[in-house]
Amino acid sequence: MTYIELQATSHFSFLRGVSSCDELFAAAALLGYPALGITDRNSVGGLVQATIAADATNTRVVAGCRLDLQEGSSLLVWPEDRAGWSRLTRLLTLGKSRADAQHGEKGQCFLHWEDVAAHAKGLVAALIPDKEVAAGLGRLADIFGGSAFLALTHRRRPGDAMRLHNLDRMAHAHGVRNLATGDVLYHSPDRRMLQDVVTAIRNKCTIDELGFRRERHADRHLKGPVEMERRFADYPDAIRATADIAERCAFSLRELSYQYPDEIVIPGLSPQQALELMTQQALASKFQGSVPEAYSKLLAHELKLVAELGYAPYFLTVNAIVAFARSQGILCQGRGSAANSVICYILGITSIDPVAHELLFERFISPERKEPPDIDVDFEHERREEVIQWIYQTYGQDRAALTAVVSRYRARGAVREVGKALGLPEDLTAALAGQVWGWSNEGVSDRHVEELNLDRQDPRLSSTLELARQLIGTPRHLSQHPGGFVLTRDRLDDLVPIEPAAMADRRVIEWEKDDIEELGFMKVDVLGLGMLGCMRRAFDLLRNHKGMDMELADLQDDDVKVFEMIQRADTLGVFQIESRAQMSMLPRMKPREFYDLVIEVAIVRPGPIQGDMVHPYLRRREGKEKVEFPSEALKKVLWRTLGVPLFQEQAMKVAIVGAGFTPAEADALRRSMATFKFTGGVSAFQDKLVKGMIANGYSEEFATRTFKQIEGFGSYGFPESHAASFAKIAYASSWMKCHHPDVFCAALLNAQPMGFYAPAQIVRDAREHGVEVRAVCINRSRWDCTLEREDSFSALNQEGLIPLRLGLRMVRGLSNVHAAQILAARGETPFATVEEVWRRSGVPLASLEKLAEGDAFASLGLDRRQALWQLRGLGAAPLPLFAAADAREAEIVEPKVALTPMTEGREVVEDYRSLQLSLRAHPLAFLRPELNRRGATRCNDLCRIKDGRKVEVAGIILVRQRPGSTSVTFVTIEDETGIANAIIWSDRFEAQRRTVMSAAMVGIKGTVQREGEVIHIITDRIEDYTGLLHSVGEMHFPHRPGPGDGATHGGTPDHRQRERSVRTLPSLRTGGRGEPVIEVKSRNFH
Amino acid sequence: MMPDLELRNSDPEADAAFLTRLALFAARRWTPIAATSGPDGLWLDLTGVVHLFGGEQRMCARIVRFCARLGFTARIAVAGTGGAAHALARCSEHPVTLCPSGHEAETIAGLPIASLRIEDDVLRAARRLGIDRIGDLLVMPRGPLQRRFGRTLLERLDQALGRAAEPFHPVVPRDPPSATLRFAEPIATAEAIERAVVELMTKLIRTLEKAGLAARTLLLLCSRIDGVEQNVAIGTARATRDVSHLLRLLSAKIETIEPGFGIEAMRLVAAHAEPLGPQVIESALAGGKPAPDLVPLIDRLSGRLGARRLFRTSAVESDVPERSLRRTSPLAETAEWPREWPRPVRLLSPPERVENVVALLPDHPPRRFTWRGRAYAIARADGPERIYGEWWKRAGEAEAVRDYFQVEDEDGARFWIYRRGDGLDGRTGDLSWYLHGVFG
Repeated sequence: MTYIELQATSHFSFLRGVSSCDELFAAAALLGYPALGITDRNSVGGLVQATIAADATNTRVVAGCRLDLQEGSSLLVWPEDRAGWSRLTRLLTLGKSRADAQHGEKGQCFLHWEDVAAHAKGLVAALIPDKEVAAGLGRLADIFGGSAFLALTHRRRPGDAMRLHNLDRMAHAHGVRNLATGDVLYHSPDRRMLQDVVTAIRNKCTIDELGFRRERHADRHLKGPVEMERRFADYPDAIRATADIAERCAFSLRELSYQYPDEIVIPGLSPQQALELMTQQALASKFQGSVPEAYSKLLAHELKLVAELGYAPYFLTVNAIVAFARSQGILCQGRGSAANSVICYILGITSIDPVAHELLFERFISPERKEPPDIDVDFEHERREEVIQWIYQTYGQDRAALTAVVSRYRARGAVREVGKALGLPEDLTAALAGQVWGWSNEGVSDRHVEELNLDRQDPRLSSTLELARQLIGTPRHLSQHPGGFVLTRDRLDDLVPIEPAAMADRRVIEWEKDDIEELGFMKVDVLGLGMLGCMRRAFDLLRNHKGMDMELADLQDDDVKVFEMIQRADTLGVFQIESRAQMSMLPRMKPREFYDLVIEVAIVRPGPIQGDMVHPYLRRREGKEKVEFPSEALKKVLWRTLGVPLFQEQAMKVAIVGAGFTPAEADALRRSMATFKFTGGVSAFQDKLVKGMIANGYSEEFATRTFKQIEGFGSYGFPESHAASFAKIAYASSWMKCHHPDVFCAALLNAQPMGFYAPAQIVRDAREHGVEVRAVCINRSRWDCTLEREDSFSALNQEGLIPLRLGLRMVRGLSNVHAAQILAARGETPFATVEEVWRRSGVPLASLEKLAEGDAFASLGLDRRQALWQLRGLGAAPLPLFAAADAREAEIVEPKVALTPMTEGREVVEDYRSLQLSLRAHPLAFLRPELNRRGATRCNDLCRIKDGRKVEVAGIILVRQRPGSTSVTFVTIEDETGIANAIIWSDRFEAQRRTVMSAAMVGIKGTVQREGEVIHIITDRIEDYTGLLHSVGEMHFPHRPGPGDGATHGGTPDHRQRERSVRTLPSLRTGGRGEPVIEVKSRNFH
Repeated sequence: MMPDLELRNSDPEADAAFLTRLALFAARRWTPIAATSGPDGLWLDLTGVVHLFGGEQRMCARIVRFCARLGFTARIAVAGTGGAAHALARCSEHPVTLCPSGHEAETIAGLPIASLRIEDDVLRAARRLGIDRIGDLLVMPRGPLQRRFGRTLLERLDQALGRAAEPFHPVVPRDPPSATLRFAEPIATAEAIERAVVELMTKLIRTLEKAGLAARTLLLLCSRIDGVEQNVAIGTARATRDVSHLLRLLSAKIETIEPGFGIEAMRLVAAHAEPLGPQVIESALAGGKPAPDLVPLIDRLSGRLGARRLFRTSAVESDVPERSLRRTSPLAETAEWPREWPRPVRLLSPPERVENVVALLPDHPPRRFTWRGRAYAIARADGPERIYGEWWKRAGEAEAVRDYFQVEDEDGARFWIYRRGDGLDGRTGDLSWYLHGVFG
């Protein structure tokens, strides 16, 4: 007989277990277990990961769950078959539906014996003998009969032998068998310390105060079967029972088959027939009857594949969603591999023509891959919620739910939490956490510790760092994915438990997107793209103010002026090509046509640059290298990219054309690229490719080089269609910026937070292009930023630009509700005094103070201090009597008070504090005399300095970036004349890490490096001038880097890598110390 | 973290007590009217005492020097009003500032308004409006100021300028209650001393009663003819006026007095007295026996053995037996002892090594062992109880494991034995055996 461990807790029992499923199964395999049971508390969230780990280690997973009932008893249950599993998931759904997520009960599960009794069929249960054993045993025996067990565990406490003996007798008395378990919490004894720490974190106390809340029973690591059999030598039946249960409960999650909703869109026709009909009709109407042969052939080919695999409902579902969005006027665009299909193109889901771009359908779906296609659709960010609600309504709450996102500990959060649990003072943990770059998972290294002048030998400190490193990656809690939907045909809660999310009326399943993909459920990603919302606003403004009615599809891809602007790298605010890296590349690439933009979007990213694809391409483009192709066949594949493979599809086509891969094999190659680092399965492909190419007549050296290039794609290579979709939007936004910078600026400001730069840079850029920007005004501003004409007949200025009025939304702390009240009260009659605003609108004084801090009362003749003075003199609420008296009567007559006016510098700083920008001056303008004295050059003057000269520039830090895992850091600074880009190599960075990470203003000393128009400063020394900056207003300067800053935010502004929550908060983060600023809860990440 | 930095925890109560003592000292030495100001300052009313110290300048310099000798850096300001003096002392750079009487307004005009003792939110609001200095306030009309900042700001301003009065509450030094007895003839016999003590005690208790106080520490000072002082002190756990109890405690100590050639004066001082109101007497009518009062017993035992030798043990939530208890004072509340698992009545500290242990690894109890030279054969045993070290207290305990066994030998004596190490992993201990406690 052989013992099988059936009670193991993974780290999906949040803050209780500390081992991942991979670790548990690896340990189990090492110990020789044929199977391992995973029982997390009131959750099956980890079972998909367990299944994957089990497959990887050739150990079977016995799916299970530990139910903690309200009466105090706990049961372990394992489903025997699919029906049993469904009952388990329904039971958990029932328990979780009783939790009130809005009142702090999120994630909890309330179950009673009656519920268990109602869902007992098909489950094997074991009672954990903690409290009230006799009563519990009785009920268990009644409910489960022959499937009831009593779990015996060694506790290593006094009286254990006696206790087990008594339990054994009681079990016999009730006719229940014994079951030996190990109550495993972690896979190896080394994890005991971490387990104590997470217990402390869970109880929100330090480990010194934890006392008896610590796990009091010993030996919670995974023990080998021989050892367990020795310990339970007196109870051989208990050991046998484990094997029996493992045999009985043969259910595997792989049995949950694919499920697509039934889409009956046209009564009487099956989904496949309906799809065929719709696509034929759409094709005919698109080409007005005379359909080119290429399209109809491709369509027939695709429809055949779709019929074979049964994917028609999927397309119909997505089509329904997009049709709904279009009917509501919501801008949307499909992307990803879906863009390859002509079905999607014709139905209007994507806007890239696959025939014209010669895209590969097999990239999208192939018969080899038995998984459903994956279509991402970008919607306008603000209106995505409408689409989500429609999906819920149409599919019902029990067949549609959002996937979960497991938020895990990252380096910063781990250091903070573990430090708190070990009793380190908060400023110390904050300092350690602050040394960690952005969202990296590297942990705090010894170097960082020494930089802070801390003693590395201190035991608590070293324990903290060590345990924090172990904690990285452990889940903390479940939250909802912003837009990943799961849609099924059967009831969803027969497949997976559903729980209510924190937002009302939202339900979330326990599994993540990757888990869903692994099991093959249908998933639709409903994502929000800020730029789409921005474009819609821009089109609305264009229509309302300039009388031009157009939309995304109308913009032709061939306006020369637009491409000239792009070549100048004048692209601040433009989608995808505004980042610092892009701006450095554009003057070299010089995009002249749409396809150049597609390439630009795809390649200026860390992966391709490292994979040595970008530079060969650039050299060929600039004419420094001859464009040549190793063969005619390959020329057809690579001519558009001058012989260098730049897109994933090209890599696949090279494999097909050059080495004779079938399309399905090529796709497998692509997939293995993405994960080759982890599974190392790519070498098989290497042989095949090289051999195939040699067989086709290519040199071995060329074949190996090609393979290396393809390898460099890894997971970074963009699909061409994806890049094309993005390039379309990039072109549209460039067009808007080029021809209507006023409209563009207004739309961009209204769509914040998004993009790479902060509002200050957006406004500065607009002003440089001749847009007049007017300050927030109580009498003239609306909520949004608008264009302000004196009247409809007044002439535009000579460039056709309308002045832009900043809206009330720019004022920090002013709520939409209050602003609406003010605007409603204002109506047609402007306000004359502060008191009048207060009386007519009825908003609380705090809101008016926010407006005063934003200098919104300037048009009433009051500066900030005077406005605040007047506001402070108003009472708690306006008396109704005075309302009747009306504004003509002077209110309380007060003697005049003369207040000290603010200095100009202080006004600028206050502007930044309230509006995040200043129209008066740049803070550095006040420091210029001092900076001149120190020998600093203006940023604008850098273009006059020769290459290789030494220079110093000073400015406020806008953005810090560390692309990929390279050893170089890019810093962008801004002064009153413009911006400058600096490069810091890793040795210099580490030597001055603190300054770079924490300073608001720096002075950079280094050497100028010019490549054509692109100027960088290779940094030698970087000095912290934050003190100078604070002296401008004699107060702390509220420094907030833009969203693109890698040090404080997740990394690149690449849309795919940044996850947004539905409710985005205003882009205000904790600014300088001292002044109270708004705190932004950083959603799921730290 | 930083090994060169010495850290001390702040102790605001001790600081406040010290400041009060300093104020009492000032009240005795420099001026009759003295009070504490905040957590770190003193008010002194110098009316009428300045001439005794040679003028304001010299007096202030003397006070500053005195504080320096105590280890403090002091700043002192003298002005016609309390508010102005406070502002100048807190915000001026010089150690001594003298403000000519009647010129407060000019002198404090340059100081920040924070020195006027106003609340933080008023301060912040004023700063936002650009009002930084007291001088700014002086030129503004009062009505709007009052409307926006409330009364406190103007009140404080008026107090500083002398327009409003500001009395303060001085500390009054008090002598502890005492009773004195002088003898016409010096006494030297024990009976005479005892009689004198009884008389003193009666007098003192009457004084205490009148003042509503009760004694906690009594000091008996005997002055001998040859000038040598003999002192006896007693202390009680609870403030009491019980004459017989106090006499009993004191009599126990009287033997230690050496009268020498004779005692000419005796003084009984209640060095530490606490207020004590009327006390409820437990009535037999209430039914049930009243709980026995432990305090007199504790007093007597403390008196005989010394207060440090009497303690109670309380439970600490820790698995490691040595750390699972701590000593507290006899009258303190104790934490509940956990009942689930038996623990020996006596714990040996440190645990004693036992030899010749025969036991099956990894988790069987020993069959026999030798302790203090005697061999024991085990008849019955229970265990192991596995206890891990507390890794966060000492790094050395990170891996340590102890397996405890409760063993009973053939004669029925029970012991608590442990083995270091779990028998499987060498890092957890060296497999040596110790005896940690004895049951019963």
